[in-house]
Amino acid sequence: MANLVIDNVIKRYGQTEVLKGINIAIEAGEFLILVGPSGCGKSTLMNSIAGLEEVTEGRILIDDKDVTYANPKDRDIAMVFQSYALYPNMTVEQNISFGLEMRKVPKEDRDIEVKRVAEMLQITHLLHRKPAQLSGGQRQRVAMGRALARRPQLYLFDEPLSNLDAKLRVEMRTEIKKLHQKLGTTIVYVTHDQIEAMTLADRIAVMKDGEVQQLGTPQEIYDNPANLFVAGFMGSPAMNFIPTKVVATDTGPMLELDAVQKTLLPFPNKACLESYVGKTIMLGLRPEMITEPQAHKDGQPFVITTEINVEVTEPMGADTMILTRVKENEINCRSHPAYPAKPGDNIKMMFDTSKAVAFDQETGVRLDV
Amino acid sequence: MSNIKAIRRKTTAIERLLRVALYLVLISVAAIYLLPFIVMLITSLKDVEEIRTGTLLSLPASLHFDSWSKAWSSACTGSTCDGISPFFLNSFQIVIPAVIISTVLGAINGYVISMWKFRGSDLFFAALLIGCFIPFQVILLPMARTLGWLGIANTTTGLVFVHVVYGVAFTTLFFRNFYQSVPGELVKAARLDGAGFFTIFYRIILPISTPIIVVTVIWQFTQIWNDFLFGVAFSGFDTQPVTVALNNLVNTSFGGKEYNVDMAAAIMAALPTLIVYVLAGKYFVRGLTAGAVKG
Repeated sequence: MANLVIDNVIKRYGQTEVLKGINIAIEAGEFLILVGPSGCGKSTLMNSIAGLEEVTEGRILIDDKDVTYANPKDRDIAMVFQSYALYPNMTVEQNISFGLEMRKVPKEDRDIEVKRVAEMLQITHLLHRKPAQLSGGQRQRVAMGRALARRPQLYLFDEPLSNLDAKLRVEMRTEIKKLHQKLGTTIVYVTHDQIEAMTLADRIAVMKDGEVQQLGTPQEIYDNPANLFVAGFMGSPAMNFIPTKVVATDTGPMLELDAVQKTLLPFPNKACLESYVGKTIMLGLRPEMITEPQAHKDGQPFVITTEINVEVTEPMGADTMILTRVKENEINCRSHPAYPAKPGDNIKMMFDTSKAVAFDQETGVRLDV
Repeated sequence: MSNIKAIRRKTTAIERLLRVALYLVLISVAAIYLLPFIVMLITSLKDVEEIRTGTLLSLPASLHFDSWSKAWSSACTGSTCDGISPFFLNSFQIVIPAVIISTVLGAINGYVISMWKFRGSDLFFAALLIGCFIPFQVILLPMARTLGWLGIANTTTGLVFVHVVYGVAFTTLFFRNFYQSVPGELVKAARLDGAGFFTIFYRIILPISTPIIVVTVIWQFTQIWNDFLFGVAFSGFDTQPVTVALNNLVNTSFGGKEYNVDMAAAIMAALPTLIVYVLAGKYFVRGLTAGAVKG
């Protein structure tokens, strides 16, 4: 187990800068997730940590040792690939022990290690099969087994679950989390699936265009997104963005919501809105903050009940998503399935802005921090 | 039973007629394609007198195998009269090392070009590709100079060298295209596991290359075995391949032309490539289409 420091790493291909100065430091045993849309540089960063690609500038430290220019094999890391990259000509057993063999581990010790890993991942019965004879989920386990067998200082997972079907993906996700809790290893995990990121990570680094937009715990990122991009990327269904006008009132600036009737919404951090009076800002409100009227919330500050027009309803079982519209913008609300809402109806909904966030409409910069 | 009968597809008279026509066309095309070989075979089994009567397509009145033994061991090729058997050995001495060396080099080249890309590797590949389009005649003179300069003119080694140089462009192309479909993550995984350049090649890449190795070996074997131009240009008197010997045999005659001996010799000279195709043809087709479908 080791800590990992990525110190101002820059990667250029010719003129294009793929990584624009990445700074991330994680403790030993931490589970870091790199998340972002495709092309954001997360896989390049992963390859740079692995040593499969050389960085242009900056340093990478594993266990306080500078490995920026070290060979992949000398970094003591293991990687699980999206395609699993199992050696097709070797049996599962040979696949798992190949890394040990390359490191000149004696045969008896290799056998013991293969047995240990196979039992941990419940693949003992598959040891003599070839990868082609395995299902997707089984291949995934073998790929993890290959990484675990070497007991490296650092594990890299490159979108390991994206080739599995939905059900298996959820199962393996839990499995990986259990494994991390049991072994306490340092893991860097790349994904574009924000649910994976939320559920697995100790800390998440949200990336875009070769820059880290925000680095923080899942809850920090969910509740306190640094900018419009992070806010829109994390969470499913996504955060609602509502352009609202800031109007001055006796009790300070408020936000004008233009639904069925004009409603003024309060906002926790009034001070930041002062300079925006008369202008339009982007209000960010998670769907679960717009609900059917709940008696226990009545009278709380930052809670306003107003009427909306139902456009579409999507029952999801546990709750029902109600789609409405404020001017041009679609808004998702999360209501109790028993709450009557039919398309076309005007119904009462409760807006809770205690956790609302505000962004500059042009730059996407967070205003209330 | 009645059910099965009821759902059977009805074939109309026209459909049946079309089917017959189809088979007739196929059979006649196959016959046209096979005709030269059939003529060669039956001519080789006739005696000289029977050939002279000009009945090209008629079956031999009686079977004569002496033309085969003569072609093999006592027909005259130029000034020697040992048949074509000694030249078979020459051909094998050229073909076997040339096929092995060009295949191995092609495999390594393809491996590097697809999986260890370096600055200019695409340019390198493009340059190699041009090698596939250079006509044989163009390199005859420069190659003769080069062989002389290397001191291997008129030797088996020289011919092996020529065939390797000329073949590497093709073998590299084959292997490169095959390795394009092999996921690069295999190499990455092996590097992280601690394997080096040749270990990865030998332990991981070569074992999955069987289809393309078969294709390359067949291709190179056929090309080199059938080569006449390089053989006639660069071989010495005692290093002539069988194709050159066949030409000499046909052109050497005392008195009448012995067509039966010529035909027997020609069939024998073609036999090795035929055998290779029959034994490995299945893998050849499979290898050519490999990569298109993922295992």
